[in-house]
Amino acid sequence: MRLNDALQIAGRIGGIGKRSVHLLCGFTPLHLQAYVKAYLRLRFPEVSIQVLPGLYGDLEGNLERALGQSADGVIAVIEWADLDQRLGFRGNGGWRSQTIDDIVAQTEEKCSRLQMKLEALAQKIPVTLISPTLPLPPLTQNSPVQTSKLELRLNSILGEFLLKVSGCGGIRLMSASRLAASSPHHTRHDVKMELATGFPYSLPHADELARLGVRCLFPDEPKKGLITDLDQTLWKGILGDLGANGVSWSVEDKSQIHALYQQLLDSLAESGVLVAIASKNDFSLVNEALSRTDLLIRPESIYPVEAGWWPKSESVRRILKAWNIGAGSVVYIDDSQMELSEVAEKFPQIECLLFPSSDSAGILALLKHLREIFGRTEIREEDRLRVASLRASNEMHTDVSEAHSDEFIARLQAKLTLEDSQAASGRAFELVNKTNQFNLNGLRFTEAEWHMRFSRPDSFLITVSYEDRFGPLGRIAVVGGSCQGNHCVVDIFVLSCRAFSRHIEFQILRRLFEKSGAESVLFMFKPTERNGPIQAYLSQFGSLENMAAGGLEVSSEAFVKACPKLHHEVIEKWTM
Amino acid sequence: MDDVEIREKLLKCFSAVFPELNPVDIQSANIENTSGWDSIAHVTLLTLVSEEFGVEVDFEKFESAISFSAFLILIAETASPGCS
Repeated sequence: MRLNDALQIAGRIGGIGKRSVHLLCGFTPLHLQAYVKAYLRLRFPEVSIQVLPGLYGDLEGNLERALGQSADGVIAVIEWADLDQRLGFRGNGGWRSQTIDDIVAQTEEKCSRLQMKLEALAQKIPVTLISPTLPLPPLTQNSPVQTSKLELRLNSILGEFLLKVSGCGGIRLMSASRLAASSPHHTRHDVKMELATGFPYSLPHADELARLGVRCLFPDEPKKGLITDLDQTLWKGILGDLGANGVSWSVEDKSQIHALYQQLLDSLAESGVLVAIASKNDFSLVNEALSRTDLLIRPESIYPVEAGWWPKSESVRRILKAWNIGAGSVVYIDDSQMELSEVAEKFPQIECLLFPSSDSAGILALLKHLREIFGRTEIREEDRLRVASLRASNEMHTDVSEAHSDEFIARLQAKLTLEDSQAASGRAFELVNKTNQFNLNGLRFTEAEWHMRFSRPDSFLITVSYEDRFGPLGRIAVVGGSCQGNHCVVDIFVLSCRAFSRHIEFQILRRLFEKSGAESVLFMFKPTERNGPIQAYLSQFGSLENMAAGGLEVSSEAFVKACPKLHHEVIEKWTM
Repeated sequence: MDDVEIREKLLKCFSAVFPELNPVDIQSANIENTSGWDSIAHVTLLTLVSEEFGVEVDFEKFESAISFSAFLILIAETASPGCS
C-alpha cells in the first residue's frame, strides 16, 4: 500500500463504536502509525479507529503507561536499540571491544524487565509482539561474512526472552520467517530516514509490518471445515483404475507431495478442523483404500465420507448438513477445475481451491495457504472432541426416530457440569463470539472487553460442559449476567448447535433460578437474522412480540410451567 | 514532467497530509497559516513527495521548504536535475 493511500484510508470517518490500539515502540512511529491505522480501518470499517503511540526512546515506559489505559490491543515493536542504545544507529556509546560484555549484560537485564511489563499488560489486553526486524550496526571486529560472538549471544538472549513471553496467554509473536517472506531483510532499513527523523523503516517494510501486525492482533475467524477430493489429490492415481493398493503417497512412488497433504490434513483434524471426503468413486473401494494402514491421516478423523457417482455439489450439500455449519466456513479442494466450478456455482460462499497435482511448488503454496486460513491461536479440548461429538450427535438423531422424546433423553445418561467461567475463559470467549443460532442477542466481544467482563463485582459467568453415553461434547454453553436480590439479568446465553435437543437450556435456567433464589430472570434478548432457535426457546415462557423494551422477563412460575422433565446429572462448581 | 503535472501531484501529497484544506487553500499553504504543519507533517510530506515523484528527497535541502510554492520549486529542480 502506498503511503498516500494509507493516509487516505486512515482518514476515513468511522461509524459508531471505537477500536483503539496502542502502538508501542522506542522509535518515532511516524509512517508505521499511518499504516497501522489504515489496516485497522480496513479490518473494522464500521467503527472509529484510534492508534495510540508512546514516547520516543522509552519502550519500557510505554508498556507501563499502556497498562493504565484501556484499549482493544497492543502492537509492541522491539528493535535492537530498545535493548541497548549502543545497538542502534542513533547511539554514540562506542563500539570498542570492552563495551561488548556490558552490551550483553544490559540486553539481558532489559529483556527480563520487558518480559515482566509485557506479561502484566497481556493479562489485560491482547498483545502482538514484533521482535527486532532490522540488522545490527557493524559494531564488531568480524568481517560481515562471519557471524560474530556478540550477534550469537544477543540472538540467544532474545530467543530465550521470546520463548518465555510466548508462553504467556495474551501474547502473540509475529513470525519472523513469515515477515521475511514478504519483507526481505535487505529492503527494510531506511538509514537516511532513521538518522534524519528517528523513523527506521522503508515504506514497504512499514507497510508489511503494519499489515501483519494488525492481522496477528485481530486474526480472521479461522475456517472450520475442509472437504477434499481423493484421486490425484489425497493420493496419486485413480482408485477405480489402480485399485486400493495401486494409489500412492510416497517418495518411492514419486508421490510424496500427497503424503505431505495427508499429514497436513491429519494435523488440521487434530486441531479441531472438520475433514470430509467428496469423491466420485465406489463407496466400498473408497473404504478399502481408507483402511490402508500406511494412510497418514487417521480414518476416524475423516467425517463424513461421501463417495458416489452423483455431482460433487450433492456430496458437499450432505457434508454441510452433517457438520451443521455455514458454507462460508468451509474449503473445498479438488484437482479438477470443472468439479471446483460445479461446487462453486452451487455454494458460492465456499472457498474452492485447486490441488495442482503436477506442480509440487504449487501444492506447497496451497499447504501454506491452508495453514493461514485454518490457523488458531489455541487448541482446546473441545477442538479435539469435535469430530467424535458430531458423529455421535448425528448417530443420536438418526439412531432413534423419537430422538426428542422424554424416554430417549432419559436414556442418554447425560451429565452436565456448570463451572465459573474464569477457568475456561478462552473457550467461553470463543463460544460467545462464534455462536449464531442459540445466541441471546448476537453480542460479540473483543478480548479486552471480555477481560473487563470478569471485573464486574455482581456478575456471574458460567460455562457448561456436557457428556452422555454417546461421548463428551466438551464445553457447549455459556450463560452470564448479574443478580441482585430476587432479580437476575442474563445478557449472555449461548448454546452450541451440537448440544441441541437435550434440554440443556432448561437445566441451565433451572439451576440459575435455584441457586440465585430469584423470582424472575430478565433476558436481554435481541432478535438477529440467525437466532431462531433461542427465539423458539424463549417464546415458551412469554411472547417475544409483546416483550418490554428492556428484554423478556421470565418468572419462576412461567419457567416451571414450561420446563419439561429433566434427567441430567448435574455437577455444580460455580458461585454467585 | 511539466509544471501542471508537478502541481497536480503535489496537490495530492498536500491533500493527504492536510485533508481539511481545499485545493485553493493548499496552493497558498505555508507553515504559518496551516495548522498541523509540524515536524511530523513535514516528514510525511517529504516521504509522499519521494513516493509520488519517484525521487530521493534531500532532507536538508527540503528543510527550508515551508510553503506549497517552495515545494513546487524544489521538486521542479529535483525532478529535472540540470535544468534551471
